[in-house]
Amino acid sequence: MAFYEKGKVRIHYQEAGSGFPLLLIPGGGLNSTMANFTGNAPFNPMEEFKGEYRCIASDLRNANGGESSGPLEIDRPWDAYSDDHIGLMDHLGIKEFMVMGFCVGGPMVWNLLKRAPKRIVAAVLAQPSGFRPEIPDLFYQNNTKGWGPPLVARRPDITMEMVDKFLTRMYRTNADFVFTVTRDFVRSCQTPVLIMPDDVPAHPYAVAMESAMLAPKSEVSIFPWKEPKERIPVAVRQVRSFLRAHRPAAA
Amino acid sequence: MDKKRRTLLTTGVAAAATAATPRAFSQQPAGKGERFYEKGNVRICYQEAGSGFPLLIISGGGLNSTIAWAVKNAPFNAMEEFKNEYRCIVTDLRNAHGGQSSGPLEVDRPWDSYTDDLLGLMDHLGVKRFMVLGFCIGAPYIWNLIKRAPDRVVAAVPAQPVGWNKDHPTYMYDLSMKSWAPELMKRQPMITPDMIDRFLKRMFPNPDFLFTVTRDFVRKCQTPVLVLLDDSPGHPYDVALETVMIAPKSEVTLYPWKDTKERIPVAVRQVRSFLRAHRPVRA
Repeated sequence: MAFYEKGKVRIHYQEAGSGFPLLLIPGGGLNSTMANFTGNAPFNPMEEFKGEYRCIASDLRNANGGESSGPLEIDRPWDAYSDDHIGLMDHLGIKEFMVMGFCVGGPMVWNLLKRAPKRIVAAVLAQPSGFRPEIPDLFYQNNTKGWGPPLVARRPDITMEMVDKFLTRMYRTNADFVFTVTRDFVRSCQTPVLIMPDDVPAHPYAVAMESAMLAPKSEVSIFPWKEPKERIPVAVRQVRSFLRAHRPAAA
Repeated sequence: MDKKRRTLLTTGVAAAATAATPRAFSQQPAGKGERFYEKGNVRICYQEAGSGFPLLIISGGGLNSTIAWAVKNAPFNAMEEFKNEYRCIVTDLRNAHGGQSSGPLEVDRPWDSYTDDLLGLMDHLGVKRFMVLGFCIGAPYIWNLIKRAPDRVVAAVPAQPVGWNKDHPTYMYDLSMKSWAPELMKRQPMITPDMIDRFLKRMFPNPDFLFTVTRDFVRKCQTPVLVLLDDSPGHPYDVALETVMIAPKSEVTLYPWKDTKERIPVAVRQVRSFLRAHRPVRA
């Protein structure tokens, strides 16, 4: 366990293994913490990939249940999180890396690809979050209930009004597709991406497949890949092959 | 290309003869880069393209599996897709109608006789280790290659794999009897209907699984395999998925992957990644 600090931001992170760097973004919405990997994640990517990669994971800034903290940047929520990821990579002296994101990690991966296209060699989006027109306010409502109140309770500097503005900017202002980038961005994205679709309310299959069909260097797992659970190792092997195929030779 | 045929095709006489007697030449369509591997009574037409780690491509089309099928009828042209990175090798199957490969009908060992041809060709080309991508009928050949030469096959991709379909239990027998046997008996009059029947019954038992290997073999198989599922009478989905679930080093593509043409490139990219991931650093 270690901390990366920059100004008022303090990010709790962990490393495991050695090799080409692989940033792992846990799921769990805005309560995304490393504990997710040993809890709700379909598989523990740290365990799966530490044999070949320098795996790095962190608690999301201000996730309840985690140890990362920082200001609530109500005008730039997605970018604030990306700052933390990119800043941590800088802190660790890492220039190029691969990234695998679960759930909320999906939009975060796209934002990283937008912000640092030359640094990200390949990306895996597992059970990616996305906008579902049938339930347009899902993320705002879920986080208003499940993330905002505990955060406000432990952070006197943060109010529910700020939470409202933060979530509005994050999920209502660009309520479409993958939230962080446009379809045009995905169409022109030259980074290899492997998408592992899910189909629960927060992880729309249609958005995952649309991004896979638009991205010129996309690959896709079988669907469903989490159920029955015997399929998970098959999907993990695909991730492993994808990462190996795109890992720079002289890393 | 053999010397005699090369001489014929370089003369105008050959063109006239082809027009006058099309059947005589139907087994010898003009093609680019065709060569022949010969061993005893067996003569196998093959093509190579590209350079790099060897990739054996087994065409589809049932027992009429030919180079032409791989080029024109496959969901994607594997030679074109992979020749930039691999030494691609593809053949006409022995005695396939429309191809130029021929040899005896080994009624007691159909699968092994075809596998002999593939392994023999690899020997002939000085290829020890290779990867293999097989469409359709290529899948049972792949499994047989892995059984026969586990140390030589580095990784394998069965695409639209043939298997025993419980809902169409005699499909492969019937298909071969209709689309392959009559033409073969015309070309090789010494082959009798009884020989054909024995050959096909031996080849496609009812019931079965993958025709060439057992579930126990697949369960123990240490070769990485990437399966591209299909669902047709000759390519049962259930059997293909079962191989994925029991093979310890299996991967599988999205499904369906060839019903809309936009999905095919996604599957091809996965094949490319799979091959790269398993390609030995030094051939």
